Amino acid sequence: MNVIETSGLGKSYGSTWALRDCTLAIPEGHMVALVGPNGAGKTTLLNLAVGLNAPTAGSITVLGKCAAGSPAALDGIAFVAQDMPLYKTLSAADMLHLTRNLNRRFDRGYAEARLGELGIPLKRKAGTMSGGQQAQLALTLALARRPRLLVLDEPMATLDPLARHDFMATVMAAMVDDGVSVLLSSHVLTELERVADYLVLVSRGRVQVAGEVDDLLAHHRMLTGPTAEANLYTEQLNVVHARQGEAQAHLLIRTNGAADPVPPGWEAQPVGLEELTLAYLREPGAAALPGPARRADTKIVGVAK
Amino acid sequence: MTLDKGSSRESADSLESTSGRSKIEFRLDSASGLPTYLQLVQQVEHALRLGYLRVGDQLPTVRDVVASLAINPNTVLKAYRELESKGLAAGRPGQGTFIEGVLGRVEFPELTQFRRSLLEWMAKADRAGLDEDGIAALFASSLWDFRNRGHAVADTEGAA
Amino acid sequence: MTTLAAPAHQQQATSLPPVPWRRMVWVAWRQHRLLLAGVAVTFGAVALYLFAMGLQIHDAYATVAACRPATSSACRQVGDNFFGTYQPSVSITEGILQLLPALIGAFAGAPILAREFESGTFRFAWTQGFGRTRWVIGKLAPLAIILAGASVLIGLLFSWYYQPLISAGDTNGALFPTVFDLSGVALAGWTLAAFAIGALAGTLIRRVVPAMFATLAVWSGLAILTGTYLRAHYLPPLITTSLNEPHPAWVLSQLWTFSGKPASLDKINQALAPIDARADSFQIFSPGPKTPANVDPFKYLTQHGYTLLTTYQPDSRFWTFQWIEGSWLLGLSLALLAATVWLVRRRNT
Repeated sequence: MNVIETSGLGKSYGSTWALRDCTLAIPEGHMVALVGPNGAGKTTLLNLAVGLNAPTAGSITVLGKCAAGSPAALDGIAFVAQDMPLYKTLSAADMLHLTRNLNRRFDRGYAEARLGELGIPLKRKAGTMSGGQQAQLALTLALARRPRLLVLDEPMATLDPLARHDFMATVMAAMVDDGVSVLLSSHVLTELERVADYLVLVSRGRVQVAGEVDDLLAHHRMLTGPTAEANLYTEQLNVVHARQGEAQAHLLIRTNGAADPVPPGWEAQPVGLEELTLAYLREPGAAALPGPARRADTKIVGVAK
Repeated sequence: MTLDKGSSRESADSLESTSGRSKIEFRLDSASGLPTYLQLVQQVEHALRLGYLRVGDQLPTVRDVVASLAINPNTVLKAYRELESKGLAAGRPGQGTFIEGVLGRVEFPELTQFRRSLLEWMAKADRAGLDEDGIAALFASSLWDFRNRGHAVADTEGAA
Repeated sequence: MTTLAAPAHQQQATSLPPVPWRRMVWVAWRQHRLLLAGVAVTFGAVALYLFAMGLQIHDAYATVAACRPATSSACRQVGDNFFGTYQPSVSITEGILQLLPALIGAFAGAPILAREFESGTFRFAWTQGFGRTRWVIGKLAPLAIILAGASVLIGLLFSWYYQPLISAGDTNGALFPTVFDLSGVALAGWTLAAFAIGALAGTLIRRVVPAMFATLAVWSGLAILTGTYLRAHYLPPLITTSLNEPHPAWVLSQLWTFSGKPASLDKINQALAPIDARADSFQIFSPGPKTPANVDPFKYLTQHGYTLLTTYQPDSRFWTFQWIEGSWLLGLSLALLAATVWLVRRRNT
């Protein structure tokens, strides 16, 4: 089952397209990192997935073939928006009761136990809690609904490192305990490297990269060699991004299979997720999307000077 | 601490409290440059070598690792699958993952030969003026080279 | 043992029963407890005041009504005393209560939705399993019903409270704008309309304070329009040529005509010149020093071919007008609330 499936999805506000030509098929059971610069379209995509917005173009289905925003979708998806919206004047116990009242499925025992473990008193008003506590409360409410998919919009922006660690530990444990799939957006990639096993990179309203992290890393290499020879290989190699000094050049290439031959005299190194992402962000024309390799995928990007 | 019934009760308590926990704890080294799952594999192998883990011991559950390190459960699963393929561990459905094998041992005669050549090399280094710390440092950096450059080793040592 | 499997307790959404409505009622109550308390206190205080003062006024009026003979100057004096004692406080109460529906609309209707948008909590509420359509209905309907019900009671109470003044000869009558909109069912209509305007403003503007101001502005505009123009034409007004003011009635306008055509003030003054009287306005004539003692300037004009046309709505039409006004206000409120629900359902944040 694909937790999210889109086809040519687009959303425009007036004449500006916040998201365009978005085609994804995200399988379940993954922790999906949705990354990209601010304003790239991440929140737009999330809003479309949870039914807060309707598409201007294309289509989106969630949790198999449910329409985004339909009762079945609302039931199976728990969303924590940016800034953790909570009713500030209500206590944690009231928020639990309220969430229970608005959903068909709510595990009150789990929620109370979890808040107890975290040391969040049930009588404390949500507005008087620290940022980390609010985040944990919002997450607890979401997980207590026993969703199939948990969607988080930049949840860690306001959290200190310890709070971030605790937050992600809770999310990961929920993946193990309940088989929840997770879609998390962030503009900071470093904190996601340890946790993400599926990556969607959005830049300027378009999806540039989508795929399992292991696959992506396995199909990219960093070639290091003499600058003078760099131009010779741009025909055979699918160069995503190039960085050149006077003598030495680094070419980030995308390979088709396990081992494309390395040009003689050149070194091949594996690439890390952050380096990969930055390279694609610097090359708006490049893309690494799943599906049969189209000519556009193997487009040779000119070596930048 | 007095040596009487009180202490034996205390030791019984501490036994009780450790019986439900795993023998080892994983840690992450963000400076190591290795993928996370390989770090976990290495830590298990290291623990085996040093005797923290023995055959039959249970590795930490996926849930516990994930809850303490905040890493993706698929990473832990990948590490445990790698250990399985190396024959070091095996999963028992409904129970967990357990140590099943030991690290491959080098046979005794070869071990003696390696030992002798190592001692000869150390004697040579000592005569050349290298002290213990220098020998240890040289060994560590060569090991790093070996690991990263693979088998492209200069053969000058063999000749000598 | 080496793969993550979805646990068996995940049930299909369709096999679970839908969340019952009473759950949402709890949510709305818990979220807006303070608001409901404020409304209850306000209405309660107004009701208590009207009841207490009403009892006093009714008691005092009993003495006026019992006075015999009714047309003697002594009884007229009793009547004047009655008015002198109670008219001021009644006028002040009338004035203050004009604000009641508008404030309800601004403080209850506007924030109920605007705050959700302003604080971003709609992103939480609209992604819960309950769904946003039922959520918005569950928020608006109970409160609307409570407000309508409470204001019907207050309206009827006000009619009862004001009645003695009309019986004692108040020239305003029950149809007078500031009295009418607080009486009977009209008050409920105006309160409900204010609430509906507030809800729609909150959904359109999405900020609490601007929505409150917008609500006050729109409601006031509508109320003024109705009071000065609309209400006067619910039924065609009656016209009389009698010199006695119709009573009790709501006089809309008075006009002097000559030979069927409206007469200007100048023309009237010309006609009045022989008796040295002056017309300050159509209704107010001042006798001069040379005016004969037993000549009434009004009668003098009518004897010289002028006719006084008084346009008015009689008090007997009170309940007819109440139902008319109540109905269209109810219709408007329902339309505005429906528009609010429609806006919420529309998927564009």
